[in-house]
Parts: sequence; structure tokens; C-alpha cells
Amino acid sequence: MTESTLVRARWSDVASASRRPRAWRAVPLWMALPGAVSLLVTAGYPTVVGIALAFTRSSLARPLRAFVGFDNFVAAAESVAFAGSLLRSAVFAVLATSLSVAAGVAAAVALDARGGRFGLLGTVLLLPMVTPPVSVGVAWKLLLAPVGGAFTGLWDVLGISGFNPLGSGVGAFSTLLVMHAWQWTPLVALLVYAALLGVPTELREAAALDGAGWARTLVSVVGPQVAPSVLAAAVLELVIAFKVFDLIVVVTSGGPGVSTTVASFEVFRTAFRGSFEVGTAAAETLLLGVLVGAVLAVAGLVTRRVRDADQ
Amino acid sequence: MGTGFSRSADRAQRGRAVSAPVLRRTVSAGAARRTVSRAVLAAAAVLALLPVLFLVSLSLRGVDDISNGGWLPSQVRWDNWPAAFHTVPLAQMLANSWLIAVGATLLTVLIAVPTAYLTARGGRRGARLYSLLLAAYCAPPVVAVLPLYFLLKSVGLTNSVLGLALVDGLANVPVAVWLLDGFVRRVPRELEEAAWVDGLSVAAGVRRVVLPLVLPGLVAASLVCFFLAYNEFLFAVSFSQSPSAQPLTVGLSLFQGDRTVQFGQQAAASLVAVVPVYLLAVAAQRLLVGGLSQGAVK
Repeated sequence: MTESTLVRARWSDVASASRRPRAWRAVPLWMALPGAVSLLVTAGYPTVVGIALAFTRSSLARPLRAFVGFDNFVAAAESVAFAGSLLRSAVFAVLATSLSVAAGVAAAVALDARGGRFGLLGTVLLLPMVTPPVSVGVAWKLLLAPVGGAFTGLWDVLGISGFNPLGSGVGAFSTLLVMHAWQWTPLVALLVYAALLGVPTELREAAALDGAGWARTLVSVVGPQVAPSVLAAAVLELVIAFKVFDLIVVVTSGGPGVSTTVASFEVFRTAFRGSFEVGTAAAETLLLGVLVGAVLAVAGLVTRRVRDADQ
Repeated sequence: MGTGFSRSADRAQRGRAVSAPVLRRTVSAGAARRTVSRAVLAAAAVLALLPVLFLVSLSLRGVDDISNGGWLPSQVRWDNWPAAFHTVPLAQMLANSWLIAVGATLLTVLIAVPTAYLTARGGRRGARLYSLLLAAYCAPPVVAVLPLYFLLKSVGLTNSVLGLALVDGLANVPVAVWLLDGFVRRVPRELEEAAWVDGLSVAAGVRRVVLPLVLPGLVAASLVCFFLAYNEFLFAVSFSQSPSAQPLTVGLSLFQGDRTVQFGQQAAASLVAVVPVYLLAVAAQRLLVGGLSQGAVK
């Protein structure tokens, strides 16, 4: 009897193994619950309430007081600071991404060419990434201060004593770009370096045997292999650059004038500082959301095309 | 197949034929390249450390010493450090930062583990959840600030460390899932199937088979989420007005609003925020690097 159950058990094992693809057990539904709740709170609910706020008159004390149609959108469009801030956000995101991807790829290639382990040097290179952005802003602001900064001696030598990189609109915008890229270049370097390590050694050896030099191998053999990772890192950088906020608050407060007022800062200012125009701020967030969505859709399309071409 | 074979044999022969001089050339070129890359990386490391090292120098100098310029203190003095703790309630804020970051990380991990299992193994439904999470991560957080403010206010969690921990914890779920998903995918399905044959449920299999195998990824994801919550500023400055619930990042920005602020104190306060994360990052360097790079490269 025991023998027959044993045989039966074996048979059922064989049967389940033979239809393995269908036998793969379904993930229980409750496992979706935590993720679904967190999505609901951080994305679903804010979207619904954000839209509702955009079409109503609200104050921080009492939201959703009266339906006002498109008044808030008109107010957003008429706000000088906001209208330009969308463009500034987009320009900042694209330039910051280009800067950090270029520098990050260069660093990754250098790390790869150096050989050896990631080690202490690698850790030091990654530190900017974990620095609180508020501290990044304070550190760079003090570093560049016209009085007491680190470069006052250099400015004297160059004959531009008291030079303040944050003094002009273009200067402040560019300086913020550099600070942001300083913080987020390491992420690109790390992701691309990992991708470089993943390139099969045989590919490089084959290229070397075929007479290709280091640079030629890098461009023609290694490049296409890591291109998807570089693009993924670029999209990630784009997302991060659109979120820039802390640096602006600490370093320039959107100035001089409105030259560094990016959209996220302007939305915050409209809602929580000075005028407390909640409805206008909500309308602005919707417009910012549309802009970010559009830019990322384009970026996603490019990424997918490259990935498909690769396969 | 025959042609392929002969081509590779031909290539091997060619390689052998040119090997001696070419090899010497490539070796010396490789050495030069390594020197150049070392120089580039050393410059990058200096650049990476420069702003924070300057903070250290500023924090050890008096007002006059700072306005005279220069890189190093003419005379080291420590009074900026205690003074910074008096100007702003730094100790309280440091404690708040840690409470918020630890609480948020625990919440993130609790949610991310089952979610990442679903996104990795849940077929089409999992893939859909994964892209929804990534889409939610892409939106700038400022978009959610006003609705979340009203939500927290209605449940009495503005001006609260708990409220900030909850918001940060939920907001970081997509990042943790993104990192963990790749780790779960690499767990061989056969191991789980064997656990099921032994009578384990899917959930028990996740706990006893999958979780131990993705532990390095889990630690790395926790670290990343800790850093994100510890460094968070937008939600903190929007949802907490009283110092009793404000984290360090908000405290640092308050320094900024003060016109008569002293650089030395500001530098000391910034370092108070920086030092713990740097120590953590250096201590867990290998795990962090492994987790970030393995999780992201799929």
C-alpha cells in the first residue's frame, strides 16, 4: 500500500513537472495589496485631488470651496514667474542630463580602463550621490562665495575680484547645473561601469585579435553593448533633474529675478509662500505633470527604439 | 559551420603571427591608458570631495579668518560646532531625521518585498504594476505636495515625524521595487518549485527561499531608501512648521534665511547632516554598489 502511494506521488510529480509552465503557481492576490495601497496614496489620490483643486477655489485651511472652471489655469498662464518656469525646468533637465551622462560615461570608461577593483576610489566618487542636496547647496554656495569663498584668490589673480557666479541670471543657472551634475554624475558612472563589466571578455578579445585598437573597440564593440544602459541612466537622470528643488531653495531662491525659478520651486512658492494660491498652484502642477509626461514619453520612445534595434 | 570554424582558426593564426610586436605595443598602450585614467579619476575624486572638505575647513575658522579667504584655517577653533547647535535645535532635528529615515525605510521594505515578488513573478499583472510604479516615480514629488498636505491635515499628521515617515516610506516604494525586481528575477524558479513540492505556500516560499537569496539586494535597497528619506526636503518643509518635527534638511535651510548667519556655523551644521550618511555609505560600500549596479542592469 505504501508502495502504491509512493508510486502515485511520483507520478503526480512527473505530471506536474511535465506541465511546468502552467503549473507555476499564481502569486496570491493579497501580495498586490501593499503596492496597490502605496500607489493609491502617492499617485492615485494626489491625481484626483490635484485635478479637483485645479478647478476650484481653495485655501490651505479650507480646500475645494467653489467650482471656478478654468480660472486657476488662466491665473497660472498669466503668472510671469510660472510661464517661464516650465521652459526653465525643461532646459535644466536636458542640460543637466547631458552634462552628467557625458561626465559619468567618461568616469565609467576611466574606471574600466584603470582595471582592478572599484575600491576606495570608487566609494569616494560615489559620495556626492548620498550627500543631502541641501548640504550640497550650502557647501557649493560657501565654496563660491564672493567673500570668504575658496576661489577669491583665483578671482583676484584673474583680475575679476569679488566675482560672484550667482550674481547674474545665466551664471546662477549654470552654477546650479554644475552643482546638480556634481551630485548625480556618480549614478551614471556606477550604472555604466556595471554595464561595462558585463560586456563579455571574448568580444573584446575578438576585436583585439581582429586588430582593433582600444578606442575602436570601445566605440564599435563595447559601445553598442552598453548603449541600452547608458540610455536607461539618461532617462533616470532626466527624471531626477525635473525634480530639482532643494538646491534652488538653498542656493538662489529662484533668483536673481526669476532666472532660476524652475517649475517645482514656483509651484511650492505659489502654494506655501506669500500668496497661498492653492488653486493656481494645483493648476500649475497639472501643467508641469503634462510637460514631464511628454518629455519622458519621447525619451521612452527613443529608448525602446534603441533596445529593439539592438535585439 | 565549416566556414565559421575556419574563420576563427584563421583569426587565431593571424593573432599568433602578429603577437610578439603587437602585444608589446598594446601592453605599453594599456599602461599609458591606465596612467591617464588614474589621473582623470584622481581629479574626479578631488572634485567629489572638495566642497565637503571646504565645509570642514570653514567649520574650524572664526569670522575674520573666513573673510580673509584661503583654504585652510590660520588657527583651528571649535566654537562653531556648539554654536550651531544653539542657533538651530540641531540635536532635535538630527533625531527627527533618523526617526523619519528609519521609519520610512522599514515601511518601504515591508511594502516593497511582496510588491517586487509580484512584479518579477506575477506575469502580465506584475509587469503592469511595475510600469505603474515607475510612472509614479517619474512625476516630480511637488505634484503630490498639495493633496498630501490636505490628507495629512485631515488625519492630524502635519507637524509630525510619523506623518513624514509615512509619506517618505510610501514615496520610496517604486525605487525599492525597481532595485529588488532584478534580484527576485535571478532566483531560480526551480528552488521555489521545490519548496512548493515540500508543502510550502507561495508566501512561505517567498519568506524562506526567496528572501534569503535576495538579502544583499534588500540591504542595498534599504540603504538607498534610507538615504532618500534622510535627505528628503520638499515634503519636510511643506508638512512641518514646528522644529519639534522638522528634520535636519529643513534646519539647514532655516540657516539660509538668516541674513546675519555665520559661515562657520552653517558649515558645521551641514557637516552634522553629511557625516552619518558618509559613514554609512563607506561602511556598506560593497553592498551598496553591488545592489545598485546589479539591480539596475537587467
